[in-house]
Amino acid sequence: MSDDKVIREFTQGEYKEGFVTDVEQEFVPKGLNEDIIRMISARKEEPQWLLDFRLDAFRKWQNMPMPDWAHLDMPPIDFQDIIYFAAPKKPTNKEIDPKLQETFEKLGIPLHERDVLAGVVAVDAVFDSVSVTTTFRKTLAEKGIIFCSFSEAVKEHPDLVRKYLASVVPSSDNFFAALNSAVFSDGSFCYIPKGVRCPMDLSSYFRINARGTGQFERTLIVADEGSYVSYMEGCTAPMRDEQQLHAAVVEIVVEKDADVKYSTVQNWYPGDADGRGGILNLVTKRGICKGTGSHLSWTQVETGSAITWKYPSTILKGDNSSSEFYSVAVTNNMQQADTGTKMIHLGRDTKSRIVSKGISAGRSQNSYRGLVRMGQGADGARNYSQCDSLLIGSKCGAHTFPDIKSANTSAIVEHEATTSKISEDQLFYCGQRGIPEEDAVGLIVNGYAREVLSRLPMEFAVEAQKLLQVSLEGSVG
Amino acid sequence: MGHGKYIDPFVNTAPTHTVAAGEVLNLDFVVLPGESRDIDLRIDLIGPGAEVHLRGLYLCNADERVNFRILVHHRAPGCHSTQLFNGLAGGSAQVGFRGVIVMAPDAQQTEAYQENHNILLSDDARVETLPQLEIYADDVKCSHGATIGRLDEAALFYMRSRGIPETEARALQALSFLSGVIPSGRESEIELAVRSLFR
Repeated sequence: MSDDKVIREFTQGEYKEGFVTDVEQEFVPKGLNEDIIRMISARKEEPQWLLDFRLDAFRKWQNMPMPDWAHLDMPPIDFQDIIYFAAPKKPTNKEIDPKLQETFEKLGIPLHERDVLAGVVAVDAVFDSVSVTTTFRKTLAEKGIIFCSFSEAVKEHPDLVRKYLASVVPSSDNFFAALNSAVFSDGSFCYIPKGVRCPMDLSSYFRINARGTGQFERTLIVADEGSYVSYMEGCTAPMRDEQQLHAAVVEIVVEKDADVKYSTVQNWYPGDADGRGGILNLVTKRGICKGTGSHLSWTQVETGSAITWKYPSTILKGDNSSSEFYSVAVTNNMQQADTGTKMIHLGRDTKSRIVSKGISAGRSQNSYRGLVRMGQGADGARNYSQCDSLLIGSKCGAHTFPDIKSANTSAIVEHEATTSKISEDQLFYCGQRGIPEEDAVGLIVNGYAREVLSRLPMEFAVEAQKLLQVSLEGSVG
Repeated sequence: MGHGKYIDPFVNTAPTHTVAAGEVLNLDFVVLPGESRDIDLRIDLIGPGAEVHLRGLYLCNADERVNFRILVHHRAPGCHSTQLFNGLAGGSAQVGFRGVIVMAPDAQQTEAYQENHNILLSDDARVETLPQLEIYADDVKCSHGATIGRLDEAALFYMRSRGIPETEARALQALSFLSGVIPSGRESEIELAVRSLFR
């Protein structure tokens, strides 16, 4: 076996979530047109207004060009060569197909409430285009909290969905948001009523399984006055030679004095060492701090995907509202990431903080792109941004593209960025103490990313630290 | 772009300056009130040990349009570049700063720094700053910083409580903010221009 092959098998073998579940599935025909959208809508038994929303978005999408401003080498996407809806067939008598249950168990996602001991988390598990189950719904309902799949929300809480859908990300917002609005399948819906502190973390887990499909999740989180929720999102996909599209839209509405913490550990299949396969992760995530004193915090750990195009953003509309963005983005082999945030300050005394840590290894390209805008009404607003890049190896790239705009004399914006590599001194120090080079790199990287990792909920922090280590395996030497 | 195969992203722009091995280039820019300017620079460092130091200041109090577009392209190892651009924007002025540092894969052992600081003096003035780094080499030290803010109220209060009139206090603070970018020999001229903004 050649050395090259050994390395390839080694790096491939490390993506533990790369298996395929053999389950009978139903699909809509390949391709995209109004009939397909009608078919998806009919299959989900949607009301007329939602079908109209989808068709309107589709018509807008047809007139939009594919964006090319990102620092990405994007392959052309044939939108007619994608299956837009895939659902596992439901067995007749049982609630959850045992095969699906096995899949999620293998991924460490408990679908049975009794299985959960410490660290109670309610899970909405999405498999390709449908939600398999949502746990702890009853417990949450006692407090008035709604946590269910998006499709169920459309049926059971149409007024809420209609009120908030596309209120933060309009269907014409951008190319991929328009596409998502036309064909979105399932995702999570979450509503926290006035003054309620959600007693457990809520979580969505997205799994792509079927070949030739795309996943178009839609998530909507509404935190009413004075409420609090911590929401986590995770995702994985099988290893394949073909690239698969994941175009999601996440909308978050934060009312007066409410507090939302949104955490993501993104671990889609990144493709092999030569850049074959992997997920194209093209998502729009945006929240609005609508009321005074509201707070929204984004934390993301991005280790997967062949291409990541993602800018979780906050519109700070309410006076005294605040938002944070903490990000670690790791790229290895042939991965490309163009990610960052937007902080739009509209209200008085609004505050935002951005901490972004990029790590590039192999032959990857990693970019931070951000916008901080101080509107004319943003008196006394404050932003601080810090973007650091770490380069491991001489063939990768690290780039920083911040945009800072101010139209208010009393607003203060600060941005700083650094780029460096792991120093020989640090590696030598670890080597002296008998720590092998790869472990030393993992150690140094974890230290570098600690400010962000420490913001993650406990269950996630452990997973994220392991992921960082695995993602960088084989990047030294 | 993409996949470690570095392609000169500005292949169609001719450099305004090239700096060869061992050469040092110092450039100072001053934009006085009333002047609208577009300043476009592309500086290529093509030989080992080349050095570039850029400084700029701009003072706006009417409807000026001042735009800096600066590309510092490191194409050789062991080079050093610094950039510092500070300015005041009042009236209904619009200031844009777009500064790009590119490090080609060959530009190892390079140090490059870039800073842009702005003070907004009026609500109708606009500042947009886009400092950018594109790094394709790993053994480098590179950083940038950008700020948009206002004069420090606490410092103004301190000076006023010691009997310094408000306009004088503002002018003094502005002068200290600009001190790093005032070219030697032009101190008195620039001091007059700064004071004129606070009259």
